[in-house]
Formats: sequence, C-alpha cells, structure tokens
Amino acid sequence: MTKRIFRSILTVTLAVLVSSFVLIVGVLHGYFQDRVAAELARSTAYIARGVEHEGIAYLQSEFPDESRVTWIAADGTVLFDNREEPADMGNHADREEFREALALGKGSAARYSSTLSQRTLYYALRLTDGSVLRTASAQYSVWILVLQAIQPVAFMMLAAFCMALWLAGRVAQQLVEPINAIDLGNPGEEAVYEELSPLVGKIRSQNRQIQRQVLDLKQRREEFAAITENMSEGLLVVDQETRVLSYNSAALHLLGARGPVEEGQSVLALDREAGFRRCVEESLAGRRCEELLERSDDCRRVLASPVMEEGAVAGAVLIVLDVTEKEQRDRLRREFTANVSHELKTPLTSILGTAEILENGMVKPADIPHFAGNIHREAQRLIGLVNDIIKLSRLDEGGPTAQWETVDLYAQAQAVFRQLAAAAEKKQVDMRLTGESVPARGVPQIVEEILYNLCDNAVAYNHPGGSVAMTVADTPAGARVTVRDTGIGIPREARERVFERFYRVDKSHSSGGTGLGLSIVKHGAAYLGVGVTLESEMGKGSTFTLQFPKVSE
Amino acid sequence: MRNTFNEQLERLHVELIQMGATCEDAISAAAEALLKNDEALSRAAEEAERELDRQEREVENLCLKLLLQQQPVARDLREISAALKMISDLERIGDQAADIAELTRFVRLPDGQGALHIADMARAVIGMVTDSVDSFVRHDLELARAVCAADDRVDELFDKVKRELVALIAADAASGEQGLELMMVAKYLERIGDHATNVAEWVEYSITGIHPSNN
Repeated sequence: MTKRIFRSILTVTLAVLVSSFVLIVGVLHGYFQDRVAAELARSTAYIARGVEHEGIAYLQSEFPDESRVTWIAADGTVLFDNREEPADMGNHADREEFREALALGKGSAARYSSTLSQRTLYYALRLTDGSVLRTASAQYSVWILVLQAIQPVAFMMLAAFCMALWLAGRVAQQLVEPINAIDLGNPGEEAVYEELSPLVGKIRSQNRQIQRQVLDLKQRREEFAAITENMSEGLLVVDQETRVLSYNSAALHLLGARGPVEEGQSVLALDREAGFRRCVEESLAGRRCEELLERSDDCRRVLASPVMEEGAVAGAVLIVLDVTEKEQRDRLRREFTANVSHELKTPLTSILGTAEILENGMVKPADIPHFAGNIHREAQRLIGLVNDIIKLSRLDEGGPTAQWETVDLYAQAQAVFRQLAAAAEKKQVDMRLTGESVPARGVPQIVEEILYNLCDNAVAYNHPGGSVAMTVADTPAGARVTVRDTGIGIPREARERVFERFYRVDKSHSSGGTGLGLSIVKHGAAYLGVGVTLESEMGKGSTFTLQFPKVSE
Repeated sequence: MRNTFNEQLERLHVELIQMGATCEDAISAAAEALLKNDEALSRAAEEAERELDRQEREVENLCLKLLLQQQPVARDLREISAALKMISDLERIGDQAADIAELTRFVRLPDGQGALHIADMARAVIGMVTDSVDSFVRHDLELARAVCAADDRVDELFDKVKRELVALIAADAASGEQGLELMMVAKYLERIGDHATNVAEWVEYSITGIHPSNN
C-alpha cells in the first residue's frame, strides 16, 4: 500500500512537472521567436536606412557579419549578399517575403533556405527605390536562446522532483502508519480513518465471536476430558492409520501402557495382542468387533466400532472394559450351578436306589430299619443342603428381613456350644469358651449362623481328642471373636478358596457337610460388615478371627 | 513432502509393530503346541509364519520406497535401515517357530526333567521376543540391552537341556529319536533367542546410532 501511494504521488508530480516544463519551453520558444523576429525587423530597418543613404557601399563596407543580408532588385535579381556571390544566386522574385514586401512594404517568412541549408527566418523591407532588403537569421538561434533560458528551470525542476520523491515517501508512510498501528487482535474503539471504521468494527466483532467460540470449545473439551477421565472404561479414538486421536487414562491403565501416548503414536504400540489387533483391523474395515483379552491375572473386553464419514471409514472408537470381576463371577456362577446339581443329585441317587430296593421287596424285614435310616439320613442331608442354599441366596439378595439389634456375642457363643455339644462329644473334641459378655450390632440369626458354621467346621475337621477354643473379647476396634481348633488345618493354596461355594479341601466328601458353611460365614460377615481372617498351619489347626465393627453409642 | 514422509515413517512403525506381534503369536503358538501337544496351535504357528513372510515383503517394499523416494538422513535413515535388518530376523523367528510347530507333531515331552527345562527355555525365549518388540515400540534402550543380556540365560538353559537329553538317551536307548527331535526343538529355541538379540541390537542402533557389536 505504501508503495502504491508513493508511486501514485510520484506519477502525479512527474506529470505536473513534465507538462509545466513543456509549457514553459513552448512559451519561451514563442517569446524568443517574437523577439528574434523583432530584432530582425529592427536591424533590417537600420540597414535599410544605411542602404538608402549610401547604396551598396554601405553593405560592402563595415557591415557586421552577424546575419545574412540580401539586397534584391525589384525584378528579383540579387544585387548583394554578404554570404554568397550574387551572380550564383537565382532570381528571388518568387520568395514569399519578397513578394509580401513588394506588395505591402514589408514581409516575413520562415522556411528552409537552400543557401544556408537550414530553417531560416526572413524579414524583407521595400526600399524607396522599389528594391527589397532582406535579412535572414537561422531559427536555431531561437532554440539556443530557449535552451539558455531553460537551464535554471530544468535544475529547479530536478530539485523539485527530488523533493517530490522524498515527500511522496514520507506522505505514503504517514498515511499507512496509522493503519499499520491498528492492533488487529484487539482493535480500539476509535478508527483512525473514518473510511476504515466499518472494517475495524467488523474485525472487532469477529474477534469477539472467535474468542467466544474458542472459549466454548475449550470448555466443551474440558468437560469431555473430565467425563472421559472419570470413566472407569477405557476410551480410545483412532484414525484410519491407527493413530491415537483421543484417549483417557483408564484406557492406558487397562492396556497396561506406560506413560502418555505421544502425538501420532499408533494404538498398536499400546497393545499388540492378537485379539486387540483383530478389533482394530475389523473396525477400520468398517465392521463392529468385540474381543475378550485374557491375561494371566486380568480380563478385558474390547468393543470396537467404526466411525463412518460420508460412507467411508474415518476411524474407530475403542472401548476397553475391565471384566475381570465379571468373568470371575460368571465362572463362580457356572461352577455353583454345576456343583449344586451334583450335590443335590448324590443324596437323591442314594435315596432312589434304596427306595427301589425296598419297593422290590428284596430286603429282609430285619434290614428295613437300616435302609430306612439311609433314606432318612440322605434326605436330612438334602434338606440341610437346600437350607444352606436358601440362606446363601437370602444373603445374596441383601439379607433376611430380620431387624438389626444389639447381640451379646458371648451368649450367642454359649447357645452354639450347646447345639454342638453332642457332635463334639461324639468326636471326642473338647470345647472351651472364654471371654466376657460383649455387645455387637447385628442380625442375631446371621451372627448365630456364622458362629455355628465356624464351630461346626472346627469340630468336624478336628482330630479325636483335639480341642476347639472360642474367645470373645472386647478390643478398641470393636468386638472380636476367635475360633481356634487343633484340627487338620487348611493348605496354603486353598485358603482363599475355602470361602467359595462347594469348595472342599478334601474332595472325597468323607467329612460330610454341605461345602457351603464357610461361604455362609463369608457372606454373612460381609452383610454385617465383619472382617474375617484366617490363619492356619497344616496338621496343627486353623484360627478364624471375626472382627466386629465398634458399637457406636 | 515432509508430511508424506512422516506419514510413511509412521506406517512403517505400525507395520513393524504388527509384524512383531505376529512373530510373538507364532512363537507362543509354537511353544504352546509343544507344551500342550495341540495340533490346532501348531497349525496356527504355521499360519503365522506365512503371514510373516507376507508382512516382510510389505515392510521391505515400504522401506525401499522410503529410501528411494525420500532420501532420508540421520535418524530416519538409521531407523529405516534398522527396520530392513530387523524384518529378516523377525521372519527367521517365524520360520523357526513354524519348524518347532512341525516337530511338535512327532514329539511328546517326557515328564522328566528334560521337559522342564525345555519349557523354561521356551518361556525365556518368548520373553525375549516380546521384550525386543517392546523395546522397538517404546524406543526403550534399557529394555533392548536387557534382551541382549537375557540371551546368556537362554544359552545356559540350552546347555542344560543338552545334558539332560544326553542323560535321557543314555538311560533309555529307545527314546533316542525323541531325544534328537527335542534337541532340534532346543536348538531352534536357542536360534530364536539369537534372532531376538539381533532385533534388540538393531533397536539399539536405531536409537543411539552405534551398533553394539562395534563396541
């Protein structure tokens, strides 16, 4: 813009200078031509007077040789010429100035002279005798005069041009400077030029709009990031080239990645397990895909969906879920179903067989009580099993509807001991209860169930002559019940699993029981918020500790 | 121009990751086939080997295209030349995994101690292959060096397996053929370990510009 303004100013200046120069030259030329012509006329008149008085002698004597002088007779014959031999010159009767002088007394002309070989100004004057005196002056003398006069003018014009050059630069810069000074990022209220104010206003409003939009986008992005960051599911967005476009930290955690994803990094750098790769490939080929990724200690499900844009796959969204717990639960449930069917079937088969034998009359009357006893025992076991399952499923569903109340653990333990006294005597196990009366909050039914199952196990898995010691104590953290036996103990690898349903360390079922006892303990304790810990040494016995929460007054 | 180059370089990286992953699949399928005597797994290993051949050609093409069309320098050049070397090692690992898979059809691991150490060896080798690919994926120099160090352990195990097989054959001449086949498996595993070391060395070269064998 500066350049353009500069150039425009300069062009205008130049045009003005050139045209004024031409004008001056034209005016000067006209002026000098007039003056030369007047000079010529004056000198001709002067010479003419001389010639009138002295005749040709005047011309031949001391006449200055400044200009050409020709004396022409009335018939056109050249009488004298100071530059040429008159004899050599032709008749001059046809010369314009000559004829004019003859007719009017004086004449002038400007034309090409063959004698002087240049454009010449002539002035002719008729003398009293009818002859004509003519003087001539070369026209270039006018130009010399003009040139002499024009020199200072030209210098002045050159100076003016230089000044114009400098001024144009200054002016152009000054014009543009305020425009440059406008802060486009934040244009001020007042516009420098009135003509610019709509433009500046527009920029201002657009700036504001852009700022609003940027803020909006940033906010939305932050919201999105906050939401995705707080998701426990891993979220990954990838483009066609498998580059990660967006991700949350859960995804990194679930895929076991170290450190953040670098810009443009491939999602396959995070995980390249076969299933994961298949998911990425399939989704980028435009198909939904779901895979289960199993590693030694955890289990993740990947859901991949293609992102379509105008009919083409633009990328994919991958969701990674931690399904370790779910898979474990599913496995437990499957195992439970299988176990329940098996456990229910065993006594039923026995009952069925015995009943069949009785029905066919193949039993001696003396043996009938024995067989009936069999049926009775198996049926009892069946009922015990079903009862245990019902208890468990009640606990699963959120516990029985019984009310919470303050329970005296010592009294409960005493009741349990009374129930188990017969069984303990049969196994020759000594049962001891120590401690004090300690209150705890809980559902009496469940507390009793827990204590009963622990003691029942302690008796059932004991050596003859062994002992079961239960201690009820009050600790700062709350009531604590310890059940210590001198039984067979629980192997280290089974310690986690004994609380599972139907899990038995001894697979032969020789010790009786339903296999649900400790499972009921675990679920009951969880329902009451009681902590259960297990210590055990093979062959020496096990210790179960129940830590009840503190009773708040 | 640069952008295309970077895109192609990224694609190379992704293809190499995929190739490394296929390689891991091949070796772990072969080892599983060996330990569990599973026909389907040995077929999977052979399938993976064919896939590796295809991937090798693809990566090779990409590398040559990059070299010819983009004329990379410095780090990029190192990465591409290292990739060219790495793929042949990865492909060899795939071949050997397929060889092991083929042998598993005739081999039954004895329950004695020989079997124990072959299994250890297989696990160690799988770990090496995984780590070497990991070191490439993460540009992890430490891990690459750890892979090179782990090769000594595999060599040690190889010697142990060799002695065990000698003892096995000496104790029971009838099991000679089995012993020889197992020896082959052990040798293949040992070679895979070497190739994994090579891969790790090229990773080190592409990061530092100095190949460890020059030290």
